[in-house]
Amino acid sequence: MSSSELPDAAPTAIDCLTAVRRLWDYLDGRLSVAAHDEVEAHLAVCAKCPPHFTFAERMKRSLAERTGTEISSDDATRLRDRVRGALARFALEGDSEE
Amino acid sequence: MELDETGDTNASAGRRSAGPMEFERLALPYLGDVARFARSLTRDASRADDLVQETFLQALRGWHTFRPGADIKPWLMSICHHAFLYIAKRDARYVEAPEDDPELDSLATARAHNVAYNSGIGAIIDQMDLGPALDRAMGALAEHFRGVVVLVDVEGQSYEDAAAILGIAVGTVRSRLFRARRLLQDMLFEYARDAGFETARAPIASASARTSRRTSTEPLPAKGREDAT
Repeated sequence: MSSSELPDAAPTAIDCLTAVRRLWDYLDGRLSVAAHDEVEAHLAVCAKCPPHFTFAERMKRSLAERTGTEISSDDATRLRDRVRGALARFALEGDSEE
Repeated sequence: MELDETGDTNASAGRRSAGPMEFERLALPYLGDVARFARSLTRDASRADDLVQETFLQALRGWHTFRPGADIKPWLMSICHHAFLYIAKRDARYVEAPEDDPELDSLATARAHNVAYNSGIGAIIDQMDLGPALDRAMGALAEHFRGVVVLVDVEGQSYEDAAAILGIAVGTVRSRLFRARRLLQDMLFEYARDAGFETARAPIASASARTSRRTSTEPLPAKGREDAT
């Protein structure tokens, strides 16, 4: 995203503390362009901070791959029947109460 | 099973009882989404099914409050999460979310990572299969943190959509999410420490026949999380 910026807009140098305080906002893409570029510029020259960001990103990616709680079609059918049954019972009881 | 007692299409007679049919037609297509969300929240198939049924019953009960034309999926997800927290509170496993400076959690995340690598478990962490470890950590995560991680990190929803579903401010999504990730990361490091401990003492343990090792499936107690700050 910053590659299209003019090259004369050099980001302000930030320290490690400022950079890591922005860790999750940076990985979530929720920083302003300027703040984002400051983090990028810091990561490019800092020896200590990049591993923290790399690991956090790895964890975030692993979570995104955790969609493995897919439900089998048998389970889905059974659950659908169960819910429809419950809804039907509720509708009947609801009607009788009115 | 059909709600065929409302089979008539006469508008005046069917007006009120057409509600449940309309509800079923519009809401049931999202059963799969709700079921997946429920499983991620409860970490248990049987509890998830109960939660799904409760969600749809509550939704039908509140159907008259649903604004026609509004998006039904986030409404159902919201009811589901609400019911989940209600059950968690009833079961007394609920702990209120602390409202801290979210950036401090970012900072603490990086520091904990530093501490872990300095303590010599870096190689274990690097080789660790994070998937199963995260499943285990998610199960140990407090309920009010789980929803936000499931929605944003697992399901890939925006902070704004998650906020709408969870019924909290976007800022609260951010603070809960950062704290939750920090806790998850801490648990991963704790597992790595355990794994290192196991590896290191394995020959001694077999020689001395000590059997006090923690089983790998046992959830970890929430100790040692605060020293990351």
